[in-house]
Amino acid sequence: MGMEDDILKDFLSESKENLELLDQQFVELEEEPDNAELIRSIFRTIHTIKGTSGFFGFTTLEGIAHFAEDILSKLRDGVVAVDEDIITMLLKAVDYIKAILATLEQTGKEPDDTAYLDFIVDLRNFAEKVAKRAAAGGSQEEAPPAAEEAKEEPAEESAAAEEEDKAEAAEEAPKDEPAAKEETHKAEKKEEEKKETAPPAKSKAAAPPVVAPQLTETHVRVDVHLLDKLMNLAGELVLSRNRLTQIANQLNNPDLLTANQRMSLAVTEIQEQIMKTRMQPIGNVFNKFPRIVRDLARNANKQVQLRIEGAETELDRSIIEVIKDPLTHMVRNSIDHGIEPPEIRVQKEKPSAGTLIMRAYHEGGQVIIEIQDDGAGIDPEKIKAKAVEKGVITEEQARTISDREALMLIFQPGFSTAEKVTNISGRGVGMDVVKSNIEKLGGTVELQSVVNQGTTVRIKIPLTLAIIPALIIRCGDQRYAIPQVNLEELVHLNSEAQAKDVQVIGSSEFYRLRGQILPLVRLRNVLGLEGGTEEADGGVNIVVLNSGDRQFGLVVDGISDSEEIVVKPLGSHLKHIPFYAGTTLMGDGRVALILDVVGLSSYLKLKGEESLQQKAAVAEKVAADEERQFLLLFTVGEDEYFALPLALVNRLDKIAATDIEMVGGREVVQYRGHSMPIIRMENFLPISPLAEADHYHLIVFHMNGKDIAFLVSQIDDSLDIAVDVEEHTFRQEGLLGSAIIKDRTTLFVDVYQLIQMYDPDFFAAPQTETVTGGRILLAEDSTFYRNLLSSYLEAAGFDVVTAEDGKQAWDKLQAEPFDLLITDIEMPNMNGFELTKQVRSSEALKDLPIIAVTSLSGEDDRRKGLEAGVNDYQPKLDRDQVLEAVGRLLNEARYSQAA
Amino acid sequence: MAGQNVNLPAESETREIATEESTLFATFYFGEHFFGLPIDEVIEINRALEITPVPKAPPYVAGVVNLRGQILTAINLAHRIGLECDSEKGTNSLNNVIIGHRDEPVSLLVERIGDVMSVPKGQIEPPPDMIAGVDIRYVRQVCKLPGQLLIILDSEELQAPPVESHKSEV
Repeated sequence: MGMEDDILKDFLSESKENLELLDQQFVELEEEPDNAELIRSIFRTIHTIKGTSGFFGFTTLEGIAHFAEDILSKLRDGVVAVDEDIITMLLKAVDYIKAILATLEQTGKEPDDTAYLDFIVDLRNFAEKVAKRAAAGGSQEEAPPAAEEAKEEPAEESAAAEEEDKAEAAEEAPKDEPAAKEETHKAEKKEEEKKETAPPAKSKAAAPPVVAPQLTETHVRVDVHLLDKLMNLAGELVLSRNRLTQIANQLNNPDLLTANQRMSLAVTEIQEQIMKTRMQPIGNVFNKFPRIVRDLARNANKQVQLRIEGAETELDRSIIEVIKDPLTHMVRNSIDHGIEPPEIRVQKEKPSAGTLIMRAYHEGGQVIIEIQDDGAGIDPEKIKAKAVEKGVITEEQARTISDREALMLIFQPGFSTAEKVTNISGRGVGMDVVKSNIEKLGGTVELQSVVNQGTTVRIKIPLTLAIIPALIIRCGDQRYAIPQVNLEELVHLNSEAQAKDVQVIGSSEFYRLRGQILPLVRLRNVLGLEGGTEEADGGVNIVVLNSGDRQFGLVVDGISDSEEIVVKPLGSHLKHIPFYAGTTLMGDGRVALILDVVGLSSYLKLKGEESLQQKAAVAEKVAADEERQFLLLFTVGEDEYFALPLALVNRLDKIAATDIEMVGGREVVQYRGHSMPIIRMENFLPISPLAEADHYHLIVFHMNGKDIAFLVSQIDDSLDIAVDVEEHTFRQEGLLGSAIIKDRTTLFVDVYQLIQMYDPDFFAAPQTETVTGGRILLAEDSTFYRNLLSSYLEAAGFDVVTAEDGKQAWDKLQAEPFDLLITDIEMPNMNGFELTKQVRSSEALKDLPIIAVTSLSGEDDRRKGLEAGVNDYQPKLDRDQVLEAVGRLLNEARYSQAA
Repeated sequence: MAGQNVNLPAESETREIATEESTLFATFYFGEHFFGLPIDEVIEINRALEITPVPKAPPYVAGVVNLRGQILTAINLAHRIGLECDSEKGTNSLNNVIIGHRDEPVSLLVERIGDVMSVPKGQIEPPPDMIAGVDIRYVRQVCKLPGQLLIILDSEELQAPPVESHKSEV
């Protein structure tokens, strides 16, 4: 019995939802009588109800469902056209079903009322009439005379039911009692007139529209403004609570503290609950898309299948409202520019119908929405050409920007890639609007695209806008709030650590955070505040932030506390300032500004742009699809310029010439309590020697557990730049090649090789269980990285074969045996993920150890890589980690072979 | 609202006219200048509220203030209309005239609050071509009072946000 109860409960709740939907669908059907999918969907719902009620033995319900299904089947098969009468009758049937379900919910039994039986008879007659019409084949014609008599009644009813239809059926929310009564007042009256046979009292209770309250007694319809107001009040409550907590802590009265704590819990709960009332499933928006997609696809003469995933994901209704237009726009773009016409898709060996996926899920307190198509993808070259043509960027810029940056150009104002303007898109409302709308919500947009494979747009937005957890920081004599979603971690450096790990290069500062280079932004500089900055101990507070497309460190004066804050908008005089997302009230009633992390990171970009301009003015041959990296530029002799990846550098230092000692024929300096060998590059490279000076600069490396440094005359600058290394002109031992940077020929130093030339045993010793003698295939499209990686792999004793892209690598894997594959992720022809998948699906190679290397280390890429089947994932420039991974995987492979 | 008990000018003739065709103005001072705003454009007048500065804001914005939970932009009248003001001493001591619409009121910072004054419509004139030290753009009308010029400000213009230009660039 218990189980049956459960099933009944499930059936009731499911049917309730379906029926609400049915109302809406019927209305749609009326507007769009040819929509076969809609008819099928309605049919399925009714069919399920029929089946289940049969199972439970609810005969009345089964009867109504049966005849309704009968009529629907005619519609579905297209033998009868949808008309008003039919819809009216079916809606009526839905009302009766609802009423029965309501009684079932209350009493567990079907209502015992002849009104229902009467209706079954009506419905059956009507169904017969429809069947006759179908038999006559006159779907468009007038009903045959025989049916005229029968028709009269439904027609009359239809007037009544239509009222409901208009007033109520379109409402998606469940009805509460007074509302339902009001809306169905007229219908009820007629109902009563008609069903004089039924006892009046009962008729009132059992006639379908009136019973509705029972069906929906767990739901109350509430004005949205009321909810908003409640939300605001909850906000005020939170503020008062915060203030009270402060006072209580000051007074330190145990009773007050306890009372406050209890209240605090209640307030938190209230806030959460009110927040929940505002949460809606994103399905409310997603559900509008099947129709939109269908229409768009039809207009564009394309075949598109829409898949919706995660429709139940909830977010704040204010966000849901705002998100709809941007989503529509992006779906339009996908269909219009992304998915190809069927005939072209067939040529490309893709299924003729394109797939469009709308997906939503929660991740780390945020909602991620993805729109993914398997269409033509976006060609960065086309974008660049278009951008130049439209004057968004200059030709020089076009040459220097990376593919990723090129894709982001789509979000620039006045940009549209549509080759022809269609009536769907390309009307000047561009993706820039989409981006700014989403950023207004505190969200970010990212774009990923592979030519001929499709495009994915990923939107990240906060769950709610009203009350957010935030970190309160101090700067100057004011407090600022930073939304917790953007917060990665906090770092405090004392003056010693600061001197060690914060590097000032040119006008920029960097902090080395666990091997990653983190650009620093001083909030004081951003806000133009003057005065002393540091903490008492001369240290700095770094707030590590993530703006979606990059990580950076924000240097602030002090860090206060974590607090729930109520977001209030900025006035129109202040909205244009990119650094603020809003304002909030602190517990003491004072105002604090909320920092906009995306805006702050744009400050960083602005600074980066200076270097972009330098690049643009200069670079003749800078390939666009090289990966960007931070380079350290320095000089040794005069007029000779060198570069090396900043990520390899452990720190920079300045020493006096007198600090250099000669020990055992080698030059060393005292460094962190031991002697560190220093290398004069001119001893190993054909370059002009270091000029005698009082002071020199040291570029210190920490590798293989040891420190070693290059002695140079001047540290020039650091640049975040994409360079194409020309390897032919200057390729020789100790050099990776050359490139033009800032208008000067700059030599790229092969740090590993140079160190090995200085000390052949430097890399030999304490590597953990050094494995040597393995054949490694290295797939890497960037010349620079290819040389760098193979240089240190060879130095470590491996036999390295290189390939320039995934395709080449695959061919080589087929031809010769390898012990291990190291692959880049971003490569032309076949990228690292695809290569990995292909290897994993091949019988002969499926156990080959694979290490993915990348210049970026996003958690997302890492996950994707591991999903694709790589064994390990390492940053390219981290020699020690890569070698450690190689050693470990080769050991494992050998061990498992031996076993 | 303070508008209920009005301090009318003393003369009884003016009072008569006032009942027919006159406008009520909330008045205030900044430096030597005497300003007025039609009373129905003023929401309330408030003594000093604490101002939180907003770095990088336009120069005429003194910061933001908390008016019973609503956060308003505070506009320094002197800076807004180009008054030479030597009283840089502390914007926090200035008074707040809250003006504007329900959706986004603005606090106008003034030095001293004056009376509410009824002015016959006939005495109100269009602004002259120039008023020393005042950007004429913000002046809607003037009214020559005995010994004093009442400058009637254009509250729309005072509230007008900066031209939308920067946001999209960022």
